Amino acid sequence: MPGWDWNAFGRYLFNWYLLEGAWTTIWLSVVVMILGLLLGLLAAIMNMSKSPILQGIARFYLWIMRGTPLLVQLIIIYTGLPQIGIRLNVVHSALLGLSLNEGAYLSEIIRAGILSVPRGQFDAARALGMDYPTLMRVVVLPQAARVIIPPLGNNFNGLLKTTSITSVISMEELLRRGQMLIQVEFRVLEIFVVAALYYLVMITLWGVVQRRLEAHFGRSVAPAADRARVAEEPVKALERKEMEHDLR
Amino acid sequence: MRPKLLGLIAVVGAFSLLWGLPVLQAAQLSSPPLIKAGELTAATNATIPPYQFVDSAGKLQGMRIELGEEIAKRLGLKMTWINVGFETHIPGLQGARWDASITGMFFTPERAKILYMIPYEYQAVSISVAKGNPLKISSPSQLAGRRAAVEIGGYEYRQITRINEEQVKAGAKPMEIRTFSTFADAYQALRAGQVDAVVSVDVTAKFYQDRGEFERAVSGLAGSPATLAFRSKEVASAVLTVLNDMRRDGTYDRLLDKWGAAKMAADKPLELKGPDLP
Repeated sequence: MPGWDWNAFGRYLFNWYLLEGAWTTIWLSVVVMILGLLLGLLAAIMNMSKSPILQGIARFYLWIMRGTPLLVQLIIIYTGLPQIGIRLNVVHSALLGLSLNEGAYLSEIIRAGILSVPRGQFDAARALGMDYPTLMRVVVLPQAARVIIPPLGNNFNGLLKTTSITSVISMEELLRRGQMLIQVEFRVLEIFVVAALYYLVMITLWGVVQRRLEAHFGRSVAPAADRARVAEEPVKALERKEMEHDLR
Repeated sequence: MRPKLLGLIAVVGAFSLLWGLPVLQAAQLSSPPLIKAGELTAATNATIPPYQFVDSAGKLQGMRIELGEEIAKRLGLKMTWINVGFETHIPGLQGARWDASITGMFFTPERAKILYMIPYEYQAVSISVAKGNPLKISSPSQLAGRRAAVEIGGYEYRQITRINEEQVKAGAKPMEIRTFSTFADAYQALRAGQVDAVVSVDVTAKFYQDRGEFERAVSGLAGSPATLAFRSKEVASAVLTVLNDMRRDGTYDRLLDKWGAAKMAADKPLELKGPDLP
């Protein structure tokens, strides 16, 4: 039946079958992001370490995971590894493949953020007697976060949609659920428009969260006009004192 | 005119008429309703040997490939194959991406509401398991609590889901039904031990068993006719005529027997099913 069917569209708008798929997409993305951040942080720190072994491991990880397609990685983990005796179930395979891949890309973003923190911060923290873990946790990473959040948000945005690739190893996320529904009801346009709307909602909600995060991590850097005003105040106070001194 | 010359003209005339007959039929099929003039564009999911598959040289092979080529030849058209996953076949027909789906699409009343279908072969659902049948599967009930792989959107998926629901209602543990884009992916998952069984069709399961790779543990479930599916009634009718001709002259029997497929009952001619037909 050609033509747009508003009734069908309305039916699919709150279809539990698609909503379940959307939930799979969401939890997959969130868990992968958390695991990826941990992996990425570890890889970034190893990459910047003085030990050539640690650097080598990190760079090798980045090379492999960014140098091969995610699809190939997933298929190797799910269908290839069992050949040598390593068998992970579908969920573990999807999480492992996506996290390893995402972690590699995130590690470069995190490294860029850390590099953006002025050398003086490291030196000052060292001078205060902080050890490396403490100075990273208290001084460097909070400042790096400001630079890391926008590209990280970009990555999470992409991840929400990239998870659809796991349908190749039989994960039933939103896109796969849409495809399966079409086989039963044949209304291709209505079903995929609903799926697209679900993705849009997820992305929009993430956008709100990202703006909040940026505001939080950017609070130490006030807008330019305020910065100028604040910078002038100590100078003005000093000038007043000198004038009073001179007038005495 | 001299009688001999008249006779000669009559014979040549009759001969050329017979020669031109298939061309006449083809002349009836142009674009539209064909998507491309002079070509029969058909989608097939070439992942289920021996019906349709890609050999190691990358060439399309199989019973349905030969069937499609023969039909196109008799219609005087060039056969253009499009090898895509099954889940795109029906939307592709609706969206006029191809004229036909020659992939053994099972007949269902829902599909007959939107496509023109010619049931021409019998198929049933089978369960393939790893060589040696380690889990001793001999009926669908033994799949309870196990992982079964199936191709997305197919009749086999609906049947195994239905069987699963019935078993769960009767108190059995639910199966874990994993959907893959093609049967080839599903069989790969079985080979990797990621699933315990693949739910596919009889002849394919037997093919793999004969090759020594997987065992056909169960067969003959939910038998139903497989069809050639079309978007246009004209194209479907032309193909129906050709198919019934093939039945009459023995080509159909030879082809299906060669590949081990199950034929339709010989006493009835093949029929067209579709949206505006009973």
